[in-house]
Parts: sequence; C-alpha cells; structure tokens
Amino acid sequence: MELIIWLILLLPFIGFLLNVFFIRNERVAGILASAMVGASFVLTLVAVANLAGMPAESRRVQSVAWEWINTGGFRVPFGIMFDPLTAVMALLVTGVGALIHVYSIGYMHGDSRVVRYFAYLNLFITMMLFLVMANNLLLLFLGWEGVGLCSFLLIGFWFERKSASEAAVKAFVVNRIGDAAFILAMMAIYANFGTLNFYTVEYGGAVQEGFLNRMGEIIGLTFGPEWWQIGIATGISFMLLIGATGKSAQFPLFVWLPDAMAGPTPVSALIHAATMVTGGVYLMARTEPIFALSAATQTWVVWIGTLTAFIAATAALTQWDIKRVLAYSTVSQLGFMVAACGMGAYVAAIFHLLTHGIFKALLFLGSGSVIHGTHETQDMRKMGGLRKAMPTTFWTYMVGSFALAGIFPFAGFWSKDEIIGHAWFHNYLPAFFVLFATSLLTAFYMGRQVALVFYGDQRDRTYHAHESGQVMRLPLIALAVGAVLAGAINLPYLHWLTDWLQPVLNEEAVTWGVGNYVLAIIATLAAAAMMYTGWWVYTRNTNRVKVGGKDPAYRYSGDIWDGMSEAWYLDAFYNRVVVGGFKRTADFAARVLDPRGVDGVVTGIGRVFGALGVGVGRTQSGYVRTYALVFTVGVVIVLGFLAFAR
Amino acid sequence: MNQLGFPILSLVLWLPALGALALIAIPRMGDATSRRVALACAMLTFLVSLVLPFNFESAPAQIMMVGAPPVMQFTESLPWLPTFGISYSLGLDGVSLWLVMLATFLGPIVVLSTWDSVHKQPRMFLALLLLLQTAMTGVFLAQDLLLFYIFWEFTLIPMTFLIGIWGGANRVYAARKFFLYTFAGSVLMLLAIIGMYVIHRGQIAQVDPSFRGTLDFGRIVSDLRQGNLQLSTTAERLLFGAFFLAFAVKVPLWPFHTWLPDAHVEAPTAGSVILAGVLLKLGSYGMIRFNLTLFPEASRWAAPAIGVLAVIGIIYGAAVAFAQTDMKKLVAYSSVSHMGFIVLGIFALNAEGVSGAILQSINHGLSTGALFLVVGVLYERRHTRELSAYGGIWKVMPVYAGLTLLIVLSSAGLPGLNGFIGEFTIMQGAFRSDYLGWIFVAFAVVGVVLAAAYLFKFYRAVFMGEVNEPANANLPDLSRRELATLVILAVPIVAIGLFPGILFGGMQHSVADVINGLTAVVAGR
Repeated sequence: MELIIWLILLLPFIGFLLNVFFIRNERVAGILASAMVGASFVLTLVAVANLAGMPAESRRVQSVAWEWINTGGFRVPFGIMFDPLTAVMALLVTGVGALIHVYSIGYMHGDSRVVRYFAYLNLFITMMLFLVMANNLLLLFLGWEGVGLCSFLLIGFWFERKSASEAAVKAFVVNRIGDAAFILAMMAIYANFGTLNFYTVEYGGAVQEGFLNRMGEIIGLTFGPEWWQIGIATGISFMLLIGATGKSAQFPLFVWLPDAMAGPTPVSALIHAATMVTGGVYLMARTEPIFALSAATQTWVVWIGTLTAFIAATAALTQWDIKRVLAYSTVSQLGFMVAACGMGAYVAAIFHLLTHGIFKALLFLGSGSVIHGTHETQDMRKMGGLRKAMPTTFWTYMVGSFALAGIFPFAGFWSKDEIIGHAWFHNYLPAFFVLFATSLLTAFYMGRQVALVFYGDQRDRTYHAHESGQVMRLPLIALAVGAVLAGAINLPYLHWLTDWLQPVLNEEAVTWGVGNYVLAIIATLAAAAMMYTGWWVYTRNTNRVKVGGKDPAYRYSGDIWDGMSEAWYLDAFYNRVVVGGFKRTADFAARVLDPRGVDGVVTGIGRVFGALGVGVGRTQSGYVRTYALVFTVGVVIVLGFLAFAR
Repeated sequence: MNQLGFPILSLVLWLPALGALALIAIPRMGDATSRRVALACAMLTFLVSLVLPFNFESAPAQIMMVGAPPVMQFTESLPWLPTFGISYSLGLDGVSLWLVMLATFLGPIVVLSTWDSVHKQPRMFLALLLLLQTAMTGVFLAQDLLLFYIFWEFTLIPMTFLIGIWGGANRVYAARKFFLYTFAGSVLMLLAIIGMYVIHRGQIAQVDPSFRGTLDFGRIVSDLRQGNLQLSTTAERLLFGAFFLAFAVKVPLWPFHTWLPDAHVEAPTAGSVILAGVLLKLGSYGMIRFNLTLFPEASRWAAPAIGVLAVIGIIYGAAVAFAQTDMKKLVAYSSVSHMGFIVLGIFALNAEGVSGAILQSINHGLSTGALFLVVGVLYERRHTRELSAYGGIWKVMPVYAGLTLLIVLSSAGLPGLNGFIGEFTIMQGAFRSDYLGWIFVAFAVVGVVLAAAYLFKFYRAVFMGEVNEPANANLPDLSRRELATLVILAVPIVAIGLFPGILFGGMQHSVADVINGLTAVVAGR
C-alpha cells in the first residue's frame, strides 16, 4: 500500500522528467504523459479499494520517506498519506487529469512547444497530488506553491503574448499574498502545537503527534495587545482562510483567475476549474477542526464565499469571451463551496467540488472544442448556430450547462442543492437568499451562453466551423457521462460520500423531510425557468447581437452592466491604488530616498566624524590612502590611550 | 593535534594563496595557462576541503560542559606573538563548516566565470581572486581575535582592486565607497578587540598575576562562561555595538547598505558573485560567532531593535529592488532584502532562527551568486543590463531561460528548493522567539510576497514577451562552460531544498552551544 501511494505521485513526476530531459517528439510526449497519469489513476483506484477494505476508523495510510527538516527543535517529515478525503481528491485529480491529457494531444497538436506543455502538465499533476496527499502542512504547502508554479508556466505558455505573460505573473504574485498568510498560519500552528503533521505519525522509531486532534489545547488561548485580544484559533483559521482565498480565487483575491484564461484551454479546464483552484476548499476541509473553534472566522468564510459567488455570477452574466464566462462561473461556484465550508457543510463542499470538477472541466473542454473548431475565435458575438457544425460538442456542452445550472437529475443539481439546503435548514437565511439568487443567475448566464454560441446563425462568416477530432471528442463524452451520473455518489438516502468521508469530516447524513423535497423542486424548476429565459432572450434578440456591439440587455441596465462586466471594478481598484501606490512608493525609495536620503545620512555621519578628526579639506581629497591613514592614526591614538590610561 | 593528525585547515586556507603566488611569481605565463592554473588550484582546494564534512563529527565526543567554549574540530595552533598571547590558531565548528564549504565550492565557479569576461590582465585578476579566497576562508577559520581581524581586513584589499581596476565606468567611486564603509566598520571592531583584550587581561591578572593576556577566542569565551571575566553592562553593550557595526556594514543591514548596489553594479561578474556569495556572509558569521557568543546579555538587549532594522531591510530592499531597471541593481537590492532575513534569524536567539540563518547564508550564496552569473551571461552578449533592452529571451535561449527560472524560484523561496527552507526556518524561529515574536514575522512575510513581485518582474521583462530587439534575435544559448557553472550551482539548490538535513545535521551541535551560551550566562547571574 505504501508503495502504491508513492507510485501514484511518482509516475507523473517520472513523466515530467522524461519529457524535460529526453523526449523531443510531440506524439511520444503526449502519449507518455497521458499514460503516466492514466496509470496513476488506476493505482489510485487500487488504493481506494485497499482503503475500503479496512475498518472505517483506521482508514488512513501514512508513509514517511525521510525527515525533511530537523533543526533540533523544528521537525517536519517528508511524508504522504492516503485517507478517504485524500482518496476522492486524488481520484478527481488523476481521473479528470488523464482525460484532459488525452484531449490535449488533439488540442495542442501542431504547437511548437508541445513537449514542454506535457512536461508542465505532468509536473502539475505531481504537485497537485502532493497538495492532497501530504501528511503535514509544510509538504501540502510544497504542492500548493508547486501548482502555483505550474499555473504560472501554463498560463504563460504562450509567453510571447503580452496578455499571457502579464496574467501568468499576476496569478503568481496574487497567489503569493494568500501564501504569505498561509505561512503565518503554519508558524502559529507550529508555535502552539509543536508539529505540522495533520495526524499522529510514526517514523524512525519515534511517534510524532499531529495537531488536528489536539484542538482542545488552544481553546481560550489568545494573543495580541490587551485592548484587542484575538483567539489563537481565530488567528490561525483566518490566516488559512486568506490562504484559501488566494488559491481558490475568492474575494478579494479572485482577480487573477479571469486573466488566467490566457493559457491554453485544457489548462483552464484542469488547473483553473477542476483541480488547483479547489485547493483552498480542500485545505479548509482538512483543517476543519481549527475552523470549528472560531465562530468569527466561520462567519467570514460564509460571507466571503457568498459574496464571491454573487459578484462572480454577475460578472459571468456580462462577458463576451466564451472562456471568461466560464472563468467567472468557476469563481462563483468556488464561492458556493467556500460558503458551504463556512456553514460547516464540508461534505457538501467536497461533493460540489467533485461534481463541479467534472462538469466544469467538460464545459471548458467544450469551449476549447468550440475555439478549436472556429479557428481561435473566443468572442461569442462572432459565433452562433454552431450546433449544426459541431453536434458532439453541442450535446456534451448542453449536459455540462444543465449540470452547472443545477437541473434535475444532472450532477450539479445534487451538490448545489445540498449547499442551499444546508443554508436554509441551518438558518443561514441571508446567505441562503444570496446563494439562491446566484444559482438563478447561473442558470440564466448558461442559457445566454448556449444561445449565443450554439443557436441562431453564425454571425461572423469569415471562418468555417468544424467539429473536433476523435481524440478531443472522447474525453468530452466521458466527462458528459460523468456530469450526468456524478450526483449518484451522494444521493439522499444513499449518501455514500458522506459515509465515506465520515472518518475525516465527522458529518452525519441529512435525513430528507418534506422541506427538502419542496426546496429541491422549487430550486430545479426555478433553475430550468431561468435557463430557458436566458436562452429565450438571446435567441429572440439574436439579430441585435453585433460583432463588437453591446449586449441587448445593456439598454436596460446601462452603467450597471459595465460595472458587472468589470467584476465591480475590483481589478481596476487594485491597479490604481495598490499596484500604482506601491510602484510610486518603490520608485520614490529607489530614486530619491535611497541615493539621497539613506546614503546621504550615513555618508554624512561618516564625514562629520572625519571632519572632527582632521578637518574638512583633507577628508575630501578622495584618496583611499588618505582615509586609511586617518583611520589608522585614530586607531593608534585610541590604542595608546587604552594602553596607558590604566 | 586534531582528529586527522594533519593541518588540513591550513591546507584549505593557504592553497589558493599558493596558487596566487604562482600566478604572480612565474614570469611570462600566458593568459590561457594562468586561467588553467587558477582553475586547477581552486578545484584542488575544493577537493581537499571535501575532507572536512566527511570527517566532521556532528556530535563531537567532548561532552558539552557548562562554561566550556564551543567545540572546535581539526584544530591547529602555533604561537605567534606569545608575549601578547597571540597565536596562529585555526578551528572549525558547525557554524563555519558549511560557510567554508561555500567558499571553496564557489571558488572554481568564479574562476570559470572569468574565462570570457575578463580580458584585461587576467593573470592579476585571478591572483587577486585566489588571495581573496584565502582571506575569506581565514575569517571563517581563525580562532584568534587578531588573526581574525587580519584576515577580515585582508578581504578588503583584493576586493577593492577587483572593483577599482576591472569594474565599470564608475568603478573608482564604487571601490572607494566599498572600502570606506567596510573599513570604518572594522576599525571600530579593532577597537573592541583591543578593549576586550585589555579588560580580559586586567581581570584575569588580578587572580593570576603571571597572566600576560590572550586573544585566543576559546579562552576568552570559557572565561566569560565561567564568570572569570565579567563585563559591566555598559562595557558589554559598547563592545557589542562596535562588533555589530562592523558586521552590519558587511551584511549589509539597513541603513548601512548603500555601498552594496554601487559595488555590485561596478564590479565585474566574478567580483559580484564572490561579493554576494561569500563576502556578505562574513558579516552574518561574525554576528553569530562574536556578538552572540561573547555578548549574550547585550544580544538579548539589542535583539528587538536589530529585528526592526532587519525587517525594514527586508521590505525596503524588496521595494527598491522592484523599482530598478538595471538587472544587477535589482539583484543587489534583493540581497539587502534576503540578508535582512538572515539577521532576523540570528537575533531570534533560538535554535530555529540561528540554524535557519546559517542555512540561508549558504542558500543566498548559491542563489544570488547564480543570479549574478545569469546577469553576466546576458551582459557578455549584449553589453547592457537594462531590463528594457530585453524581451522574449525564453524563445531565443530556452536552456538559459529554464535554468534562470530555477534560480529565480530558489531566490523567491519556492518550497522544494533551498531558499524556502532557510526563510521558513528563520521565520519560524522569529515567530517563537522570546525577543521578537509574530509581529516581526507578519512584516517579514511581506518580503516573501515582494520577492515574487520583483523577481517575476525581472523574469517577465527579460524572458517573456516578443523578441523586441533585432540584436536579441540570434543570441547563442549557453556555452558549455556557462551551462556547467549554472548546472553545478543548480544541484545544491535542489538538493538542499529536499534534503536540508545534511546541512542542519552538521550545524546542530554548534548552534545548540551558541544558544546554551546565551541562556547559561543568564543562569549564572
């Protein structure tokens, strides 16, 4: 078992090494990379089967390869683990990952740097697996930053493009802000528990304790000045939350994700929809005992998630770029997951994470197929009527849209319903109403998108649309099947996922009453109605959509529409105030303060001392030997003083 | 005499000087021959120095007794000026082991980097480089305060010439500034050494009238720890301050850093690599060896104030680095930021902080040394270091771009590479420190964010985007020699990131000694 879980990690890494150092052939690179991730998926299945064979309470395998850090006091193992929560994450990463690798063979065909592309993808899978399999926070952080690096490499894959290189750097730096908070959280955890291990682990003949089951030790402890005492648990969990807002693209740090669409579309599907961006949600689920101690942080989590969901949905509503719609939609759905975490519904969050990973990957790959088939067109104003030219893409896209909109019986319906239901039945009413409204917006913008892309007539006739090849269609179909069926993993009454995660998350399944049925029926009917409305509005007004023109709805909303399409000007605010302010300050420091101020003062003090000794004129001579002589004379004088004064 | 029965330290110390002597003394040696001689000498030194870590006892047999001085290994000692108790004595412990290794490891790399870049009197240049290496190694090894001081001052001379003769347009100004700043600091240190000598002799002579005084480091420390030598609070703080200023200028700690960017910009590539790689570490080494060991009370007294300066340096250096358009200046200011971390770790005054600081000294030497080499590669091709002169180099020189990315990531502190381990351990130490605390780390961590900002600004400007200048379109990728130097540096960057235990293991015992020394004296009073 230990060997198997290490192999899950190592296979993609071997693929990465081979692709970097040895393989120079596009075809070989793609097949090798896909095979490695595929094999890793198979091994994950084996490991899950093994895990299922164990008694529920002992379902956790840990394996330490070596002692990573040991400074005497501070010790961290380089170790991984496999438990139910890790298992579902690893299945998602390797499963969806393998499909996207296969799809990429078709999508990236003909690009000049395909080998490098597959190397990056393999490295990404490795790092993502480190993130979900690490048995301590520091190694999780290695994966966390590692996926950030791969995200940088892949967003900037076409680094010649200005937009791509800017977006890549932006993603890395914005994420770093969250990472800084993550680092602080780790230090606070270590300072209070003396370990960064999640659970107790035995290695090198000694037992090292974990911190997750010792939360009692920090109850009631506080830090900070006397007039503002903050609970340690609140401090730690809040820092973890900030870390999560970076990686999982939550308010106020979500601005990097829409720009990240400058990368190749399969990358958007894999990294910026299905896996990496869910890292923050995974982190919160894993460290759930800390969050449970702090009601204050939990409230923040709920509202950050809810607010993000709403803001991003309004932004998604107003985009013209097919991928930016999906990008904002991803931010919005991540908001649902985060809000669920805040409400203590971690299973619902993970459930939505899994279904979303499947159907959003499907949608992104579908949009990739559209982009591919329309010769790199991304502006939906130039599309229209594509359902005839690309039937497979159309049907699978419809499945994905239904799932995202939350229509019965598609996957998204079940998971989103769990979150909304939890909000309603556990009295998070303000959040409930915002989330419910958001889910209606979601249905509407998907209706809009489907209408704009696939219905009506092709508005820009300069290209000839065609369906994508087999290697791209098969992953679409596989994911479409998943988007229909994935809800089955946690159906009411069966609740497999809840039971499976019970040893980690300690949640009991919800028993459905009349209220649940009513809510579910209302939700799905409302979603269907809104999606139909969106579709109807944009097919009816299809002749008013012009290349380069305004949205038909712009007439009625005016500036509000602009505000929404800029995601409420958050990005503009950062650019002006934060980035601009920093640049001006830094420039001032570099051009004025440092050369004139600091240098001047320090040199000046030196001159004053020099002047006291021998007079200004001599010191200004500029000869090193003069200065040296002055110093030496001074030394001799002081020396003599010390020697004879006694 | 020591565990090997052989003066191994003297060999490591004087081999480069012998090489330098050979370069100077043998007449009419051609440039190519002199390069080969220098390289052979530097490589031989490194190979010999490999004996050290392999024979180093990470848990020496002598039991640590209360009041004992730090346990030195491979020791050797010859009387020099016995009337003043001055001797030629060398020794190595866990604090200096890896710093010596860093110096001998960078030696051949630096020599290699001069191959194409130094055309003006390469023989003299190489001789000075080798002399500099001896001087730096001597600082790490000397166990006598006067010997230490001599080596310390001696590092100034070759470096000043390297900048002043082989530097850029403004080289004389930069060399003078470098010399004055560091010399002003070290003169204070000399005063402190003399003061220490006088006080020590005075106090011991009262008990033992035959005592003539000594500058032996171990003897002074053991007298301090056993209470035979007691410094008044004022005297201790003054002496601490004098030592500290010398080291703070060298490190350089904000606000004593302004000589560094000038020196770096004007220095030839090899000089920059040595300067950032090893010379700055003399300062951090000195703080641990002298400030912490000799003046525990004053160290604890000054720690918060120094911590504040360090944190200012971290953020200030990073911000100023961000605003630079000259690559070398950018890297130079990044050094100010990174060295701030090291000082922060030292004055956390606990095992995590000090171990992290030592490790980070090594890491910074590798990563920043490599960054200067990276800049040198472009400079040799295009003779400009302006960021705006470049763009799209990733496409033109893919191997170079890949290696540079690795080095940039190491410098930015990506986990899995060396820089992260050092930074994290330092911050962990500062967080738990009795003298600093979480608030220091909360500010220091801003430096981590800014490091990503300025390093990626650099990377994007140079490597990403379209090839915007025709002159850049056909730049040749790394030559075999350049590739070798960068790859040799990349190996420890990755290895330390994954297996820092190799380094931590060796230093643990000595760090514990320093930390115990800090607290034992408290108990004694």
